[in-house]
Amino acid sequence: MIKARHEGEIRTITGNAAAAYGAMLCRPDVVALYPITPQTEVVEQLSQFSSSGLLDAEMVEVEGENSAMNIVSAATMAGGRVFTATSSWGLAFMYDALLQASGLRAPVVMVNVNREMPGILAVSSGQQDMIATRDSGWIQIIAEDCQEILDLLIMAYRLAEDFEIQLPVMVNYDGFYLSYLSEGVNIPAREDVDAFLAPLKDQPERPKLVPGGPLACATHGIGEGFVELRYKHSAAMERAKRKFDQIDQLFGDFFGRSYGGQIEAYRMEDAEIALVTSGSASGTAKTVIDSKRGEGIKVGLVKLRMFRPFPRETLTEVLGGRKAIGVIDRSVCFGWNCGPIYMELRSLSPEIGLVPMLSFIDGLAGLDITRAHVESMIEKVHAASQGNPYQRVTWVNLEG
Amino acid sequence: MTSNKKKLSKVFDYLQGEDPFVGGLSFCAGCPLELLVRFVPRVLGRDIVIVGTPSCSATVMYGQNIGAWHNLSSLGCLMTGVASSATGISRYYRRTGKDITVVGFTGDGCAADVGFQTLSGAAERDENFIYICYDNEGYMNTGIQRSSTTPLGARTSTTPVGSARRGKETTGKNLPFIMAMHKISYAATATLSHLEDLAKKLLKAKEKKNQGFAFLHIFSPCPTGWGFGTDLSIEICRMAVKTHYYPLWEAERGRFRLTHKIKKPRPLSELVGMIGKFSHLRVEEMAALEKEVAERYALIEGMSQTIPLDETV
Repeated sequence: MIKARHEGEIRTITGNAAAAYGAMLCRPDVVALYPITPQTEVVEQLSQFSSSGLLDAEMVEVEGENSAMNIVSAATMAGGRVFTATSSWGLAFMYDALLQASGLRAPVVMVNVNREMPGILAVSSGQQDMIATRDSGWIQIIAEDCQEILDLLIMAYRLAEDFEIQLPVMVNYDGFYLSYLSEGVNIPAREDVDAFLAPLKDQPERPKLVPGGPLACATHGIGEGFVELRYKHSAAMERAKRKFDQIDQLFGDFFGRSYGGQIEAYRMEDAEIALVTSGSASGTAKTVIDSKRGEGIKVGLVKLRMFRPFPRETLTEVLGGRKAIGVIDRSVCFGWNCGPIYMELRSLSPEIGLVPMLSFIDGLAGLDITRAHVESMIEKVHAASQGNPYQRVTWVNLEG
Repeated sequence: MTSNKKKLSKVFDYLQGEDPFVGGLSFCAGCPLELLVRFVPRVLGRDIVIVGTPSCSATVMYGQNIGAWHNLSSLGCLMTGVASSATGISRYYRRTGKDITVVGFTGDGCAADVGFQTLSGAAERDENFIYICYDNEGYMNTGIQRSSTTPLGARTSTTPVGSARRGKETTGKNLPFIMAMHKISYAATATLSHLEDLAKKLLKAKEKKNQGFAFLHIFSPCPTGWGFGTDLSIEICRMAVKTHYYPLWEAERGRFRLTHKIKKPRPLSELVGMIGKFSHLRVEEMAALEKEVAERYALIEGMSQTIPLDETV
């Protein structure tokens, strides 16, 4: 087993800077840059890296996100490693190219700094942007803190460019909370990142768009030919789950930091009830769980790190047999009046068991998911586990 | 006894290599696009990658499932994405030191309408590729709807002629001029009746794209959508030049030159009379179109005199 040769350098940087460091260390060939709050610092930091010579890449300062996505996905078809970053309306503006990229099986790595939408210029945190693209065929993963953002970027390239996967990966983190939060982050040495990504070079090569190939990319998909591509796309998504676990394990062995793969299970061993979270609210939830444990409530936490593909098997394993489950969503599933992660977990009810499952919609428009909120949620889930009647969906900011 | 060897046109000197397309392409009968798609790679050579979109050329250029009608390398992208996808590919080639010509190839709907932002962005960034827009003045592949290059008064399925409205109410967007005003490395107009002029401009675009963005605008009449006989396509190209409807010019970094001066232009009615989409024009409507054409020509003529492209420079 090979290990990192350097300890890395600890610096106090924002989540956006951590994303830029992560991308820079992976040596992309083509980077497309367009600013949008709260992602802008990623673009600025990468430009600084380029100016100072730390990042040797083709930097394309585009005129909009739609071009950004087309540029990076086309560059992968020629054989390049690529990076771009966006948020909310930028993600929406690249929607056609986003779906084109996944259909092309383009191994694009993109940061999406989660921001609230739809709405009138909602300049605040929320995961609705990611949720709105959940069926776009992209792999979607979510970071909890600044260190995880940097580490997930490196893992994302291992995942996207793996020959068995060949899919675009969207690395998500909460806008405002993580984008502007400064934390101590261990920045790995360049040569260690090179060594960690080196196995990608030993894989079979993708067909490349070069003259005289000939290679016609993105032909009209017709009939069964199209269905076969769609089937293979879906099969690659299924493979990505176990692959992500393996990469997380390899990363842990190599750099000394691992996160649990598709999910992180916190104090779940003997938990009778569980709270499901994602992103930056998980830290708050963990501290509340610690104090509730002190009161004798056997509660644990499952942090969703991978949203697409949805970790069906792992969640079934970890949540099966619990007496009640609460799910915190920082977004809304319109038409079902509940949180989207909740709605997806409900699909697993036959496997997990028909126990009370409670949806908590909290932290919309950048409102804090507070300790008091989480305490109240745990109490509600606990009461439901005791056989008391419960409310299926709670809009926490309005109902408490 | 005279020799029966007919002297070949000089345009054959520009053709290199074999035609990369199979025989019998699925274009409408009489469509000049078939001539154009075969001509472009034979002049530019085989070190090219084609990037295009859903459009009239798509069925031929981008294949179906694992089949294609040519042995070129190509990437099919979405309506918004020609200029940006070509940027991504050419940037990666530039980074890896490969001398490859990326050719964006699409119609006016993509270039002048839905993909205009990305085209303008790539031009402003002075990207190193050639963008070819074949302009048939409308959305012909979807069944003849108006685009922003559809000329004043023209009848399309979304600008029909009736008692309340009579054809397109605004003038056509002057796309090649707008592109030239980005002060790109090379911008030019060309058409299928003047093949030597087109070949020269293709080669110049290939050379100039090494310094920056190269844009070629090809006037490409549509027998199905415009309403004229399938044997008249090239004649309409020629008449468009002779009537000043479609002046042939080129520009480098915003300096202009007329490449084919017409001393005595033919009356516009000779062109318009051949085309069904103008058949409803009344005298005053015809006069309005004539004014548009005259002004557009005066603009280019004026530019070529006041900000001339001096070939000796």
